[in-house]
Amino acid sequence: MNEVQLFSTCLAEEFFPEVNDAVATVLERLRVKVIPVRRAFCCGQVAFNEGLREEAVALARRFLKSVEPSKPIVVPSGSCTSMLKIFYSDLLVNEPALAEKAAAIRPWIFEFSQFLVNVLKVKYVGARYERAVAYHPSCHLMRELGVRNEPMTLLSAVSGIKLCELRDREECCGFGGMFSVKFAHISAAMLEDKMARIKESGAEVVVANDCGCLMQIGGGLSRAGAEIETRHLAEVLAAR
Amino acid sequence: MAASAKGDFFDSSRAAVQDHELQRKLESASTRHLDHFAIVKEEFPSYEDEKTAAHRIKTDAIAHLDELLIQLTDKLQDSGCKVFFAEDAAEARKYIVDLVKSKGAQHVVKGKSMTTEEIELNPALAAAGIDPVETDLGEYIVQLRGEGPSHIITPAIHLSKEDIGQLFTDKFGTEYTAEPEKLTAEARERLRAIFLAADFGITGVNFAIAETGTLVVVENEGNGRLSSSMPETFVAVMGIEKVIPRLEDLSHFLEILARTATGQKLTTYTSFITGPRREGELDGPAEMHVVILDNGRSAMLADPVLREALNCIRCGACLNVCPIYRRIGGHAYKSVYPGPIGSIVSPNLFGSAAGYLPFASTLCGACKDICPVKIDIPRILLHLRWKETEGEHPLKWPAALERARSGARRFAGIARHPRTARLLGKIAAQMLKPFAHNGYLRWMPPPFGNWTKYRNFPRPHPQKRRPAPAENQAP
Amino acid sequence: MAEAHKILATIKTALEAGGQPDGHNHAAAPAPARKVAVTAGAERAELATSLARELEAVGGKFVGILSPDEVSNRIVLLAREIGATTVAIGEGVSIDMEEIGAALERADFKIVKTVPVADVERAAMRDRVANAELGIAEAEYGIASTGTLAVISTGTRPSSLTLLPTASLIIVQIDRVMADLAAVLASLGPTRLAEHRMTLITGPSRTADIEKRIVLGVHGPKALHLIVVWPRDE
Repeated sequence: MNEVQLFSTCLAEEFFPEVNDAVATVLERLRVKVIPVRRAFCCGQVAFNEGLREEAVALARRFLKSVEPSKPIVVPSGSCTSMLKIFYSDLLVNEPALAEKAAAIRPWIFEFSQFLVNVLKVKYVGARYERAVAYHPSCHLMRELGVRNEPMTLLSAVSGIKLCELRDREECCGFGGMFSVKFAHISAAMLEDKMARIKESGAEVVVANDCGCLMQIGGGLSRAGAEIETRHLAEVLAAR
Repeated sequence: MAASAKGDFFDSSRAAVQDHELQRKLESASTRHLDHFAIVKEEFPSYEDEKTAAHRIKTDAIAHLDELLIQLTDKLQDSGCKVFFAEDAAEARKYIVDLVKSKGAQHVVKGKSMTTEEIELNPALAAAGIDPVETDLGEYIVQLRGEGPSHIITPAIHLSKEDIGQLFTDKFGTEYTAEPEKLTAEARERLRAIFLAADFGITGVNFAIAETGTLVVVENEGNGRLSSSMPETFVAVMGIEKVIPRLEDLSHFLEILARTATGQKLTTYTSFITGPRREGELDGPAEMHVVILDNGRSAMLADPVLREALNCIRCGACLNVCPIYRRIGGHAYKSVYPGPIGSIVSPNLFGSAAGYLPFASTLCGACKDICPVKIDIPRILLHLRWKETEGEHPLKWPAALERARSGARRFAGIARHPRTARLLGKIAAQMLKPFAHNGYLRWMPPPFGNWTKYRNFPRPHPQKRRPAPAENQAP
Repeated sequence: MAEAHKILATIKTALEAGGQPDGHNHAAAPAPARKVAVTAGAERAELATSLARELEAVGGKFVGILSPDEVSNRIVLLAREIGATTVAIGEGVSIDMEEIGAALERADFKIVKTVPVADVERAAMRDRVANAELGIAEAEYGIASTGTLAVISTGTRPSSLTLLPTASLIIVQIDRVMADLAAVLASLGPTRLAEHRMTLITGPSRTADIEKRIVLGVHGPKALHLIVVWPRDE
């Protein structure tokens, strides 16, 4: 049986534990054994994006110590995956030993949908989800990792699903980590437009692969009193 | 117009996001623009290859900037130009103002040039009693309004045709019309007379070819041609990064610049100017000066990550796709270079007042995707964030935001100890549980107060709940 | 210039501080591989057609592919069609503009001939060109892929001819229409380029500064007409 390490990410652990459950459920149905990475909590993206390099390096060190080399690491978030896979090389530019370690595990890091479609080569995971769904592609997932079609490939294969066209779907939802707090007024203006598009799509559920986007869009829809719910892709794929 | 008082970006962007009329104008203009771009991109199968070639040539040129500038200077002088290297904006301004005065010039016309906006030339000329006339239609419009451009390619993008119609009526006493054709005809009429009387012309430079000493000026209206060929004295102002080695490099740049900047295959007019007019010629200046401006660029050159930003050919595409620019417009940036590339360039040219700009981005990467010279804008913004944080004079954030930053720092400290982090997470979840409604909190204490001002915050609940729920009940 | 040296030294230091990505000299950098199309025979007509199509796509007006004998008469017709009374005309590159000028004069048009000027005559000459309703010039090259005309100005062929009159007519020899910009720049070469001012013209003057809506005829000609001519020996 295949084994993967599941890095939950801090947002999912604290706010969306059901996402990790769903990821594990889907992977286990595909006969993949899931080992949670318990010794690391956060990839360091928040500190890194805030310019707090020292703090981010400490978290990277922690992460790199906590994972096994040469075994896939699955991450249910586009931005955390890009942090681990791409930005660690910038972050660790003055830490040659850590940089080497980061480079060694780089090919083993996968975002959830990327792992299913490109590594396990599956499209249909036996899911049934009878609701109208709009998919919001997360920025880092698309533009840093180049994962553009995989989530839709998986969603299209779900039984009973109704996929809704989301206009301007590639436009950022406005989350951006600390940006959403420090420049909340701009973030909210972006969110407002995203929500308008979601509403006109006719979706009952918005799906994304990044807990940051889910927090932002979910928080916005909740404040607006909208009936539309937010789900991580894994939750849809785990449903039966 | 360069970055002014501290904290301004917060106020100006806060005002801008409330201005739904502004957003509507930006949205319709950018969308129309991106539609043009999509069509020409479609018809240009080698677009990706062109981008790669342009990136390579420009990176190589920047890496040999010193040699290329020496070669360019020699060639410019051979062709009869006077060359002046300006270390900063003040030197460039003084040189041009002194020259205008020494020529006794009465009518100064300007072609569109962001570099002259950067050095704040117009106020300096005005202070010397000379009123330069901006002749690019968009620049002419914003000059009449007494403002600066809000976009590096489309200066009046923040105005509707009705705004411009009203402006012309107010300024010229002409009958109100909002028809772009009529407004353009009105401007043509007024500016043509000024061009024919002009004795001093100023334009920017898009590319300077080192091997020939040729300046290349790209435009659509004819203002660049007129400004550079009618007056007796002509000054071209360029940043040090505008030089490219060879004539043959140019086709890559001209084609991608036109496509990304305005959605054309080639701009209407591309002037190749090598020196002042020759004996007996009707057009061209008797005297030609080239001002080559550093103004902080060599400091960018010294930073291996930041250096990449000098590849910029000022096409403005990153502004058009930027979800933030599209919400707040150019003026809110409080810098002549707004948008994603402006957020990189401005702090380096105008100092720490623009230091917030690298942080004012979600790093979504739409800019990086469209950039015709492949500048990795998000990566450079991140680099600037570290520099700002680790520099000798770190940015002073408004108090609430400083709290948010130290919150992030504290979080990073705790996250190093996963067990502690999880325990604290559970405690927070317990504490907040009574306040949650349908899984969300309407109010959060600082540093999250800014978040809950605009949207709800998900309730923390770090428990495992396997197995995953079935969700197929009818909604 | 002490200042220049100072700034160049700063740049050199900055380059060293930032680190050279590689040691090779820019002069030795491999030229980008772009094929320069060699054209002959039937291909010419295809290139000319593409030039015409692309120019019309940006608001230009294609008059036709004409034999040298037809050119003068067709221009007289065109001048009448647009209601011109005065036509500015310069020396050709390879076409005999004298003949065209004579034909226009015979048809009662006022002709402004651009000849080398002394400084005192400059303003008057410009006014005359600016008051013409049509300016006629011959392009050095045409560019098929973009609908562009490359015009080189000299004492007898000033840039004003394609800039100041209300409408512009540009003539180009069919064997001077090349596939793309790279081919034209290669054919022109750096030495030739540096001798005179050159302008690439792709359509009539235009702007999109008001709400990104395209309007033709801002500072330059409101209309651009194109005639492609077969060489006399064919």
